[in-house]
Amino acid sequence: MKSSATSRRGFLTVGAVAGAGLTLADLFKVRQARADQKNYAPIEAKAQSLIHIFLPGGIAHQDSFDPKPFAPLEYRGELGVVPTKIPGMQFSDTLPRTADIADRITVIRSMTHGEAAHERGTHNMFTGYKPSPALVFPSMGSVVSHEYGPRNNLPPYVCIPNQPNEFAGTGYLSSSFAPFSLGADPAAGGFQVRDLNLPGGVDDNRFGRRKTALEAVNDYFKKMEESDKLDAMDTFYERAYSLISSQAAREAFNIDAEPAELRDAYGRNEAGQRMLMARRLVAAGVRLVSLTYGGWDMHNGIAQGMRGSMPAFDQAFAMLITDLERQGLLDTTLVMVSSEFGRTPKINGTAGRDHWPKVFSVVLAGGGIKRGSIFGSSNAVASEPEDEPIEPQDLATTVYHQLGIVADKELMAPGDRPIEIVDGGQVRKGLLA
Amino acid sequence: MVRTSVFLFAWMSLIAVAHGEATITKINVFPSDVELSTSRDRQPLVVMATRSDGVTIDVTAQATLTPTNAAVVRFDGPMIYPVADGEAAIQVEYAGHSAQVPLVVKQATVDRPVSFKLDVMPIFMRTGCNTGSCHGAARGKDGFRLSLFGYDPDGDHFRITHELSCRRINLALPAESLLMEKTIGAVPHSGGKRFAPESEYYQTMLRWLEAGAPNDPSAVPEVLSVELYPRQFVLEGEGATQQMIARAKYADGTDRDVTNLAVFLTNNDNSAAISADGLVTAANRGEAFVMARFATHTVGSQALVLPKDLQYTPPTETPVNYVDELVNAKLHKLRLEPSELCSDDVFLRRVTIDITGVLPTEQEFQEFTADTDPAKRAKLVDRLLERKEFSEIWAMKWAELLMVKSNNDVSYKSMFLYSNWLTDRISSNMPLNLMVQELLGANGGTFTNPPTNYYQIERDTLKTAENVAQVFMGMRTQCAQCHNHPFDRWTMDDYYSFAAFFSQIGRKGGEDYRETIVFNSGSGEVGHPVGGRAMPPKFLGGDTPDVTGKDRRVVLAEWLASPKNPFFATSVANRVWEHFFGVGIVEPIDDIRVSNPASNPELFQALGDRFTQYNYDFKQLVRDICNSHAYQRSSRRNESNASDELNFAHARIRRIKAENLLDSISEVTETKDKFQGLPVGARAVQIADGGVSTYFLTTFGRATRTTCAVSEVKTDPTLSQSLHLLNGDTVETKVRDGGVVKRMLEAGKSPAEVIELIYIRAFCRKPTAEEGEKLLQIVAAAEDPQRGLEDVFWAVLNSREFLFNH
Repeated sequence: MKSSATSRRGFLTVGAVAGAGLTLADLFKVRQARADQKNYAPIEAKAQSLIHIFLPGGIAHQDSFDPKPFAPLEYRGELGVVPTKIPGMQFSDTLPRTADIADRITVIRSMTHGEAAHERGTHNMFTGYKPSPALVFPSMGSVVSHEYGPRNNLPPYVCIPNQPNEFAGTGYLSSSFAPFSLGADPAAGGFQVRDLNLPGGVDDNRFGRRKTALEAVNDYFKKMEESDKLDAMDTFYERAYSLISSQAAREAFNIDAEPAELRDAYGRNEAGQRMLMARRLVAAGVRLVSLTYGGWDMHNGIAQGMRGSMPAFDQAFAMLITDLERQGLLDTTLVMVSSEFGRTPKINGTAGRDHWPKVFSVVLAGGGIKRGSIFGSSNAVASEPEDEPIEPQDLATTVYHQLGIVADKELMAPGDRPIEIVDGGQVRKGLLA
Repeated sequence: MVRTSVFLFAWMSLIAVAHGEATITKINVFPSDVELSTSRDRQPLVVMATRSDGVTIDVTAQATLTPTNAAVVRFDGPMIYPVADGEAAIQVEYAGHSAQVPLVVKQATVDRPVSFKLDVMPIFMRTGCNTGSCHGAARGKDGFRLSLFGYDPDGDHFRITHELSCRRINLALPAESLLMEKTIGAVPHSGGKRFAPESEYYQTMLRWLEAGAPNDPSAVPEVLSVELYPRQFVLEGEGATQQMIARAKYADGTDRDVTNLAVFLTNNDNSAAISADGLVTAANRGEAFVMARFATHTVGSQALVLPKDLQYTPPTETPVNYVDELVNAKLHKLRLEPSELCSDDVFLRRVTIDITGVLPTEQEFQEFTADTDPAKRAKLVDRLLERKEFSEIWAMKWAELLMVKSNNDVSYKSMFLYSNWLTDRISSNMPLNLMVQELLGANGGTFTNPPTNYYQIERDTLKTAENVAQVFMGMRTQCAQCHNHPFDRWTMDDYYSFAAFFSQIGRKGGEDYRETIVFNSGSGEVGHPVGGRAMPPKFLGGDTPDVTGKDRRVVLAEWLASPKNPFFATSVANRVWEHFFGVGIVEPIDDIRVSNPASNPELFQALGDRFTQYNYDFKQLVRDICNSHAYQRSSRRNESNASDELNFAHARIRRIKAENLLDSISEVTETKDKFQGLPVGARAVQIADGGVSTYFLTTFGRATRTTCAVSEVKTDPTLSQSLHLLNGDTVETKVRDGGVVKRMLEAGKSPAEVIELIYIRAFCRKPTAEEGEKLLQIVAAAEDPQRGLEDVFWAVLNSREFLFNH
């Protein structure tokens, strides 16, 4: 398959360059273009959904999942280590609870790319591509949205609380595949998803009347005009109606329905409530939930910074894995913890660490990923990958594979350019159960 | 006016044709002259006959070709080979028509030595070896790398001759070189068999190896241009064919047939497919642009495909101006019938939104519909153009392109001054060339001379050059940063030479810590990534000016925003056009390139020419556009133009832009908004800072101003938009708090009258009887008329008819 696709690319995609001059042929052209795109039969999706926990700023791998207790002090830093459920493996002592559930997760210690700027690194981790001057790539969430569409009346791609950065967006795909943002933080008191509920003073009855009126008003225009744009807008109105009218769908966003003890167990803070919300959403049918927590760009006083920010993450993440397992969701839910890069091997002059993309850690769990495993390793001072270096395109390809998407498939970018979902990535079998 | 009469003549002749038999009216022979030098040269001819109905036929095989002096050349079909030196002509006869092609033969018996760059490199491109998916990839393929599309011939020569010694090439046994065995599939090759041993490609490469695989002594004549014939043709019926020929012209004055070396492409296989050898075959009705790529040049020809025995009645309406003449001429070529003109109320709403970004008021509606002046549409356009909202829209558009936004490098004050500068230039209707010159040549403090902020918002030299090309010339040069642009004329040399205009921007802190002083530092060069040589500043697609002792940016600005730059006026005019039609003549409007041609090249050029003649006053251009029938057509399609999207046979519906939509909602609900940094009641189009937004504006696609691309402004629907209009606070709160319904009822209006007034405000029309009846029933079922009517108002603001300009 690969080699025939390769030779086709050399000669046919060049011919598919377009952009102009069509009259009666649009429909056919689209079909034609589709025929030219690399396509694959569906594969089994081990993971029905993905929770992507992104730690913006670049979390220090040495002070979290890849400690180097035997390195000199200026490398290993101030934090100690704790043993984990994986025999012989240790985490930083800021992760005691995660260490306790380490037998259910896989830690990648050999993630690597060359981008030391926040936005470029973030781009790599959200799209699986290096930034290009000529094209903006879609995020994993938008690709999943594009490939699968909604499930159980719920939007396929949800961001908690908001779209975290520009690279979590639709790239060259239509903005129809944009994430649905909660627009409010589930940790905040009086949390409500933006625009999900009927406004005050409007009951179902009145909303029904409004809908009838809207249909009456739209009728005339519908008879006059025909356009794909109108159909697309209708689709989103239909989705909105089903979301508003489906009690089950709306209930997915109602974090207050979770038992108070469970909310406490996750932690009544941003990390805890966002992860709990994510679990609620995937349980209800959302395909990809993206959430962020904290700010990890610790150029100064990193030990103190980690001691401040990690406990909430540690508690919430360990609880998330436990909770997913308890609910029987862990096997079908892939959880990924990532960051745009790691941090410098040596502590700097202000007791912090600076940007370091050469090696860092990513955590995967559930959704057909190995349990209790360490994938790859960094060298003695955590400055370079030692075994099994893995780059963003391989990580993305593997994640897509678990979601049932062949990442070598091409999507159509403007100008009828077919572009692979991920270019040249490999499924890393060593990560899979 | 000459053009009008020519056009009318064509129109009339066509009407005659529609009822009569088509006859051959002329023949054309391509190329129009033949020059053969050395025994290896040759040239094919193509003879094309044109019928009276405009359809063309490839009659090369049927025509008789006779040299006036049989001693100098011989023929093999339409291919001419040299025999002896001399001058002659070729007499071409077909169906009673004749033509002559002058012919010169030189050095007829001299062999031309094989050249790596002239003969071998083109084979890599033609047969696909150096594409991005094969050996042209950044890391090569299977251990062998060629430069992408051949941007680095010397590097390619090195890699072929110095890597894998004795295997990749074997000079002792050239035919056993891997290079040769792979290409013919004699040994396994991921790319398969590229050509046969008996092919000319194989023979050329073998000859080169037998000659010792030499590189060319220093420079070889550069390819100055590539010609592709015929330039334009009309095929009738599926299966009709047309052979294309490509000829390259070199800097040493020679030319060469490259039909067997050029890469042929089409942008629409479905209408006109093209074979590797340049044979175009017609399929479905439509239009295609067939292209030939050779060396760094891509050239294209327009191919139209019409079905056989098409029933078509040309329209009889008189064109209003050149816009109509050119749009109609294209529609006529495609045998498309335009839609009828839109009604007065549709026109009033459409043109008011397009020119001012707001909706017509009830009073404007009443006055306009009652007006019986036949020139009332033109008068309305004139009135609208004088309103300040017109300049506000364009100030916003330019602010998006110039990415006006405060950030770490641009203080709020700088941004504010910059925005004021822009708004002032637009509202005083400063000729656009002067505004652009002032901007690009700007020096001084970001406070004292605000356009200098252009160089503060983007500080990277290469990015600045890319932005300038994209915004003011409509071209994307990004590809050429790393390799010669595959589908355009831009080479890496062009890219870095253009960037060199921005390599001497000096920056230093001002007295105020928020201010930066931008100045001409007089030093700094841009190096070419291959070899690192400093690139002299060269206009994109133009000359290399003398910049010694001058501010490079000032030199560039004077050329860029002037008639000397063929891309400035046309690309800006295309932007203006796109605003009014929802699609550019070149689309996307900031991706003008050879392989993305104008849907109507004559119109594209005419608008640019007019814009230049109008001394870059774009108000005048807007007037021409809005007064044309092309703009005033109904959005209802007819049978003939139902699937046309690019030829302006009918109006396109467009979702109203975020800022205008919010302003319109506030206008009809009589409510005010508060935006950060602006007084209560300011309108969304007036927000100066790209960093300021609201939930509504962001959700409906306000440009983030992080890039200068036109795609920053989004109008695709999303779930968040629908939810926000249905449940969100914008519509809900404004309908209630505006109190429009309440006031109307208090003034004694009946529910039917209130509905009518809402319709006029929002839709610029009265409800139909059926609508009125249905809505009144809904109102009657409500607890009280006010709530019922507010629900109708809510429905109107959620409706497609409100959200779209149509």
